[in-house]
Amino acid sequence: MTVFFNEISRRLPQRRDVLRLLGASSLGAAALPLFAQDAKLPKLVTVSGAITEVVYLLGAEAQLVGTDTTSLYPAAARVTPKVGYMRQLSAEGLLSLKPDAIIATNESGPAVVLDQVRSAGVKVEIIEADHSWGEVQRKVQAVGRAAAREAQARELQVKLDAEWGQVQQRVAAAAGKGRKPRVLFVLSHSASPQVSGEKTAAHSVIGFAGGVNALGGFQGYRPMTAEAMASAAPDIILTSTQSIEAHGGVDRFWQRPELALTPAFKKRSLITQDALLLLGFGPRMPSAVAELHEKFLAALA
Amino acid sequence: MTAVQRDPMALCCTGVEVRLDAKTLLADASVHLSPGRVTAILGPNGAGKSTLLSVLAGQRAPTQGSVTLDGRPLADHGMQALALRRALMPQESAVAFDFTAQEIVALGRYPHRRAPVHDEDAIVDEAMALTDVSVLAPRILNTLSGGEKARAHMARALAQLWHPRPDGATRWLLLDEPTAALDLAHQHSAMRLLRAWAGRGVGVVAVLHDLNLARRYADEVVVLGGASGGLTQGATAEVLQPALIEAVWGTPCQPVTSADGTVQYLFG
Amino acid sequence: MTQRFTARAVLGGSLMLLVVAFLVGAVSGAYAISLPQLWNVLATLGQGADKSPEHLVFLNIRLPRLVLGVAAGAGLGMAGTLMQGLFRNPLADPGLVGISSGAALAAGVTIILGAWLWPVLPRTLGSWTLVLMAFGGGLSVTLLIYGLSRSEGGTRMALMLLAGIAVNALAGAGLGFLSVMATDEQLRSLQFWLLGSLGGARWSAVLLVAVAVLLSCVAARSLAEPLNAIALGEAQAALLGVDVERTKRRAIVVTAVAVGAVTATTGIIGFIGLIAPHWVRMVAGPDHRVVLPASALLGAALVLAADTVARTAMAPAELPLGVLTAFIGVPMFLWMLRRFRGRI
Repeated sequence: MTVFFNEISRRLPQRRDVLRLLGASSLGAAALPLFAQDAKLPKLVTVSGAITEVVYLLGAEAQLVGTDTTSLYPAAARVTPKVGYMRQLSAEGLLSLKPDAIIATNESGPAVVLDQVRSAGVKVEIIEADHSWGEVQRKVQAVGRAAAREAQARELQVKLDAEWGQVQQRVAAAAGKGRKPRVLFVLSHSASPQVSGEKTAAHSVIGFAGGVNALGGFQGYRPMTAEAMASAAPDIILTSTQSIEAHGGVDRFWQRPELALTPAFKKRSLITQDALLLLGFGPRMPSAVAELHEKFLAALA
Repeated sequence: MTAVQRDPMALCCTGVEVRLDAKTLLADASVHLSPGRVTAILGPNGAGKSTLLSVLAGQRAPTQGSVTLDGRPLADHGMQALALRRALMPQESAVAFDFTAQEIVALGRYPHRRAPVHDEDAIVDEAMALTDVSVLAPRILNTLSGGEKARAHMARALAQLWHPRPDGATRWLLLDEPTAALDLAHQHSAMRLLRAWAGRGVGVVAVLHDLNLARRYADEVVVLGGASGGLTQGATAEVLQPALIEAVWGTPCQPVTSADGTVQYLFG
Repeated sequence: MTQRFTARAVLGGSLMLLVVAFLVGAVSGAYAISLPQLWNVLATLGQGADKSPEHLVFLNIRLPRLVLGVAAGAGLGMAGTLMQGLFRNPLADPGLVGISSGAALAAGVTIILGAWLWPVLPRTLGSWTLVLMAFGGGLSVTLLIYGLSRSEGGTRMALMLLAGIAVNALAGAGLGFLSVMATDEQLRSLQFWLLGSLGGARWSAVLLVAVAVLLSCVAARSLAEPLNAIALGEAQAALLGVDVERTKRRAIVVTAVAVGAVTATTGIIGFIGLIAPHWVRMVAGPDHRVVLPASALLGAALVLAADTVARTAMAPAELPLGVLTAFIGVPMFLWMLRRFRGRI
């Protein structure tokens, strides 16, 4: 097994492909009549991009009968039947896909619709989104349970935990060697940009990657103002690629007057990542955080 | 000045004053109206004719003074009871939506909806015949001419008062400038109609702007305005003298006697 | 000459439309239920038999939604007629007295500030929080507008119109302010609420709304003749013995209760209150004794039809109902503006 794994890791340097292969090879090691069993494996609907990713990693995509509009990764997920936006699901729509289980985060709704689906005999697993590593673990476990692939889920869990452990060690090691960068996350998919305080996904991710949220003292999101930005004095601006696109490019983004007074502006310290990758709290999180951490170090250097 | 006759079935107002903000629309008006006759309220513009009529109808409460009907204050009768025996044809009426003339006339029967008589539909048809709007029945009121609308509203008022009251209470037909929009022929036929109704015991009170119509058809006149700003009530022939007319309206007038013996006036 | 259909024809026709819309709605949906299956569900009603999935989908998801659609459309159609009669204007709409904007503002406050202002509320009221807040908000704003429009002589409709414009604008500004403070997720939630939906209808809420609308429609019947008289003008109506002040108060209360209950449960469904009475008047004339019940029936049919499209056009996802009623309503409204521009 280990030899096989090393072979693959040499030829395919990307981690996510490795993980997929790991999942596939685990499946291969499991019972042989895979396709005959497909008909009896439970059908799933996943509501949340991160949860959908886990399904693909466990190789259970044949069991996936529907996803929500935030499920955009991998590319195959985009062409699955869409049940709508996660906060505005339709009971009949969900049931028409005849799933055995629906896995969603506690941000999904309306609650009444989920109750109706439950009363129709479909298992509805709700995962608490508390922006911790535990959230990712719960997602993996829940999908494993719902897809009847618990063994594969455990293996994936072990793998991800190991990755996460490595990343955390690296961050801890670097923390002793200099100050932590002040990072500010900007969310701007619609007209007015917002910045994130405590108790947000971004706040947790910044912390995990060895940075410090430049904004404190409030929870959730607030509109971005010049004074707040100046007093926060972030070294680095972190945002999603979708936000940059919404602004019309990096240059247009830097033209925002609120950013002009920040240290980040002087050095043009901007880190962008895909929104789902950055904030999704999915299986790609270890690699996302590792990438962030490296960029933090580079920005401060 | 005529002596006030104590008629128990009278519609009276005493010392009525109507003020709106700082403006006085009517000051110290006292009239005593008896049923069974046509009374014309006359006066120049702004003298308070419509105001007086609306006070008598119970539509408007005076700032001072009292209005009584059958010896009791108007307020004691209650609006619903009054609606069974008192109709007011307005000077103008903006009707919402596309009601037909017939539907508008039928609304005159609204006060009687709780105790309908056997010939409700016939009442509406006959009232429209009296004011010569039968052919306009299915047409939308808002598409009619000013005169046609006025005749439809008059028919509505007549329909409201169609049958005598079972308790013998007198009926009162109040009209605000009923002839203003009508052509010559309809002006006279309308006034003759009012005289006929007065002849049956209805109290008819009409604000008129045409002195000659008043002279010909009214039993009594109430003249408002003039230099003294006061009110004069009395028999038509006695009150409508050239001296008073000139004083109130400020126009020289010359009486002439027409072929049938009625006095009419030439102005200018 | 006006071409008018008799009261019986119009009422019968609207009822037929409603029945057809109901039947079409009953057999349509994201979840495929064939006619034989539907028949089986209805035939075995009440029996304690094992519930097939079709049973559950139809009885617990689709049927309450259809009933809510009927109640919503009837309440809005009836209230629209009352408002147009009261304001003596065919362009009036229940939103003029602030129910929709009050409910929207309350919904916005609940969605965006709820956790911060009253953390205990969701725990005690649970999933009823939003509904009750929206209902309360709608009634409060209506009360405010009504209070602002009272003067010595009674309630003046011109004042009510102006007060309504001002308060509606304020509620809109409040919502705007809330959206600036909201996170993306909260904004989306609010947006969906504002666009209206019959989704998530559960029997407890549906029955409450149905009862509220039914009682309102019954109370509205006695307003039909007074509203006819009020078309002559309030002064003339009073001379005919109409208690104009009481009629206004009743009409506003009935509207507030019906539209408040509907809006609290479904969000904002626009244009039904505007177009249903107008269509009825076009074929039946303006007699409120016909327009009131027929608008309720037609409004219900329209909402059902729009909802059927909403939940099948993009299955398994759903379109918001307000989007579809706007697609019908806006062209209709523009046509009405052209037709009535002489009278505005």
